This record gives sequence, C-alpha cells and structure tokens, in this order.
Amino acid sequence: MGLIEIAALLLALLLVLLCFGVWIGISLAMVGWFGLAFFGTSPPDKNLFTAFWNATASWELAALPMFIWMGEILFRTKLSDEMFEGLSPWLRRIPGRLLHVNILACGLFGSVSGSSAATTATVAKVALPELLRRGYDEKVAIGSLATAGGLGILIPPSITMVVYAVAADASIIRIFLAGFLPGFLLMAIFSLYIAVWAWRNPDKMPPIEPSMSLRQKLYASRRLIPVSLLIGFITWVLIAGIATATECAAYGVLGSLAIAWWSKMLTWENFWTGLLSSTRVSCMIMFILAGAKYLSLTMAFTGIPIALADWVSSLQLSPYSLIVVLAIVYILLGTALDGISMIVLTAAVVLPMIQKAGFDLIWFGIFIVLMVEIAEITPPVGFNLFVLQNMTGKDSNTIARASIPFFICLVACIILLTVFPQIVTWLPDFVMGKEK
Amino acid sequence: MRNKLIRLFEFAGVLAALCVLAIFVIMIATTIMRETGIKTGGSDDIVAWLTASAAFLGLAATFRHGDFVRMSLVTEKLPIAARQRTEAFCLMLATAFTGYIAYSICRFVYESYEFNDYANGLIAIPLWIPQAPFAFGTVLLFLAFFDQTIHVLRKNEPDYVVAVRERHARGDFSEDI
Repeated sequence: MGLIEIAALLLALLLVLLCFGVWIGISLAMVGWFGLAFFGTSPPDKNLFTAFWNATASWELAALPMFIWMGEILFRTKLSDEMFEGLSPWLRRIPGRLLHVNILACGLFGSVSGSSAATTATVAKVALPELLRRGYDEKVAIGSLATAGGLGILIPPSITMVVYAVAADASIIRIFLAGFLPGFLLMAIFSLYIAVWAWRNPDKMPPIEPSMSLRQKLYASRRLIPVSLLIGFITWVLIAGIATATECAAYGVLGSLAIAWWSKMLTWENFWTGLLSSTRVSCMIMFILAGAKYLSLTMAFTGIPIALADWVSSLQLSPYSLIVVLAIVYILLGTALDGISMIVLTAAVVLPMIQKAGFDLIWFGIFIVLMVEIAEITPPVGFNLFVLQNMTGKDSNTIARASIPFFICLVACIILLTVFPQIVTWLPDFVMGKEK
Repeated sequence: MRNKLIRLFEFAGVLAALCVLAIFVIMIATTIMRETGIKTGGSDDIVAWLTASAAFLGLAATFRHGDFVRMSLVTEKLPIAARQRTEAFCLMLATAFTGYIAYSICRFVYESYEFNDYANGLIAIPLWIPQAPFAFGTVLLFLAFFDQTIHVLRKNEPDYVVAVRERHARGDFSEDI
C-alpha cells in the first residue's frame, strides 16, 4: 500500500471510532497503535509509553491546569455583575447602546480567562437577563454573546493557544502576544456591526435611558477596578520578567484567589470544588494530548505528513487557496468536534503543509484559534451554543441562527488577517524581535 | 467491593488535584526564589513530573464524572436499544485498549526500575519514582472502564451520563471548554 492509501485507511478508522462515540483520546491512541502495529517498524508498546510520558511530563504543559483553574475561580466570583455595572454607564449614548456591553465584557473577561465557554457563561450570567429586562432585541443579544465569548480564547491568556503551542512546538508567549491585535480588531468589527444594526433598526431598540453625569459614570466604574487590577498584575509580572509565560499562569491563579477572597466568595468549599473540577478538565485535555502525541509519533514513522505535504504542494495551490481549503475543512470539522480535539487531530498533518507553503506558525496559530471560535458556534456541536441553550432555554439551532451575522464578522476578520498578516505578527516581532 | 473501588478512583482524583495545587505553589516559590537569588535547580523537573502525575492520577475520576469528550452526534440519533448496544461496544473496546495502555506503561516503568534508570536532569533520582503515579493512573483508568462495562452490561445507565446530566441541571458549565 502506498502512503496515501495508508493515510486514508487510518483516517477512515478514526472516523468510524469517533462516530461510534469512542472517547476522543482513546480513539486517537487506538489509531496510533493500529498504524504502528501494522505499518510501522518500531514496537507499538514502547512508543506508547514514550509518547504518553513525553506528552505529559512537560513543564510548559503545567500552564494548562493553572489557566483552567483561574477561569474556574473567577466564574465563582461577582466579576460579571461588576463588569456590567461598570461598563454600562458609558455606553448609553452610542448607537447600539448596552448591546456593546456583551462585546466589551467578553473582551475584558477574555484577557483574564482562557476559555470560550467560561467567558460566554460568565458574561451571559448577568448581561443577558439585564439586556432582556430593558427590552433589547433578544436575537442580537444572544448572537453577540455566543460569538464574542470566543474572545476568551483569542485574547490571551488562552487554553487553546497553550494547546496549539504544545502541539506545534511554538513559543507560548509569541502566540499570546500575537492574539492582542486580532482580538481588538474582532471587537471593533463586532461593535461596528451592532452600531450599524441599531442605526438601521431603531424600532427594535428600547427607549433611551437617562444619561449620567461624568462623576456618576466614574463612580460606577470603580467596579471595574478588580478586573483591571488583575489584568495589570498579570501583565506586570510578565513584562517585569518576574515570571515566564508558563509561570504567569500561576500568578493568574494567585490574583484570582485574591479577587475571590476580597469579594468574600472564597469559601473552603468553593476553593476545593473549583480545584477538583479544573483538575478533571485538565486531565481530559492532557489525555487527548497524550493520545495525539502517540498518533503523531506513528505518523512520523510512516512518513505520512511529509507525503501529504508534498502531495498538497504538488497541487500547486496558491497560499490563499490553501487557506481557503483549510478553512472549509476546519469549519466542517468544527461542526462535530470541539476546538482542542480539532487542533491536536490536525496538527501532525497540517503543520508541515503550512510551513511548506510559507506560512508563519504563529500566524497559523491565530488562524486556527479563529477557526475554533467558529467551531464553538456551529451546530450541532458547539460549546457556546450549549452554554446559551442552557441559560436561555432556547434550542441550539435558534441560537446558531442568531449568531449568523456575527459569524460573518468572524469570517471578515479572518480575511483581513490573511490579507494583512502583519496584524498578527507585528506585536510579537515588536516586543521580542523577529523570529529566526 | 465496587464501592471501595469507586472510592479509590475519587481518592486518586483528589491526589491529582493536590498535584495541581503543588504545581501552583512551586511555580510561585520558584519565581520568588529567583528574584531573591536563591538557586532553584530542578524545580522545573518536579513541575513536569507533577503535571504527568496530575494528568494520569485524575483520569479515572475524570472519566466517571463524564468529562471525557466524545462525539455524540451519530449515536444520539439511534433508537434506544441500538444506542445501548453501541455504548456497550464502545466500553468493551475502550476497556481492552486501556488495558493495553496500562500493560505497556507498567511494563516499561518496571523495566526502568529493573535497569535502575536515572533522571538526567538536575535531580538525580531513579526515574521509576516519578513514573509510578503515572503507571498507577493508567491501571485505575482501565479498572474504571472495566467497572462501567459491567455496569452497562447489567442494563444500568452509565455513571458518566448521570454525572453530566446532574451537573448541567445545576447550570454548571465550568467543565466544558
């Protein structure tokens, strides 16, 4: 059998296992074993041991449980009430008014949280009932929340970026830095859409609320102090060189614990439940990473990724059409898989292809994060949809339909980043110097 | 017997959480020591080993709490009887394979004990010591899958399905990424 046939066979086996509902980490490892046992020259059990140990006994990976724990602690604080009350006085006069709270609060919370579902849930917990009570359009409120929650993984810190950096062997800090400008760009695009929508549909907007004096506005903003302090603290620890990108995750936990303690939400029980459940989430992700590492080891032995990369480059696709093809593949994968699995499943095969076509690994990291954001809002499987389905009682297809305009905003952002890759690479190059 | 086993899974989950707590403490301590000029040799190795221990000791509890992700797109559409059969099939397949994982990992950890392999970082201890929790975790995972297989073959609803339903009913999405 040629390499391409073997690749097709392994892919088919993986699809069958996934469709039967075999757990993703186990499916990956099983396909890895199958490939080595039948087409490899190296003993499968020895490689399994090496892959599982090397994938998890890693100092960089230690950032993952830290960021997950941090999100868990913040979810159990009053941060979301505070953000709503602190942000809303400033937005009462601009077109779209309080609908912008969704975008800004997601962006703000995204800069302390590394997960998209956690961002959506935290912001929606307060913003959604408040907006509906004031008579804002339900469709736009839900759609903007579902999509802007993705800012949680685009604006650093980001669990998705840590996973990508580990899978692609890229620098975590570079990818974190690369996320800032695209994150702001995406927020601007979302807000622009909301403003235009509100301007064209004045009948769907609630009556204007009385404005506040500057003094009152500033007084209301005192509630933003805890979250700003946390962002400032993490950035300072990182910039001052006290902690590396991995260690700053531990400082994030420390700051979040301080906020929880200050707002009197830090009970012993909250602390312990949060720690246990974030450990479980980390275990789940690390097991998938271990399975994926085993599969990529198999892949490396068989030489499939290089053969595929050669095959794709022999098609003489222009870089742009390669990106279009990959975007379509990721949107399709994203309908059925969650973001983390999507990244680790494809990394071994797609990364050599991307490098051969002359794309930057950091740029591709941001591209893939945006693809994961799309995956979170495409039915039938999208975590943001599930979160909002539970919080609103509407079925996930209705929520997905409400997100369509914002989905188009995401696509517009991806197009802009592809045409102007400097938006991604400028900040990391500026701070850390060009990569050799 | 079964209750004792389940308590063991939960206990290993607690140990995993303690590993995560230890990572947190060591990371903060390392940065403080570095700032004050105290040597921090080897703390990176310890953090790496703790990460592996946390990852594997917690697996059985993670599986039982329904945190392992899977694709339910196709199986959800099946009629109940077929869905139960698919579930049993998945569990048997996974039990067999996690058994293989546990066997391979225990075998090579034992080998490193027998040949007295040493860690080649700053902390020179026999490598089997940090690898023991890693091997133990895979054995627990195999036992957890085995237990659920029997449970489902006896026409019960799997524990991981019940756990997720209860968590979502409380409105708790903190475990969905």
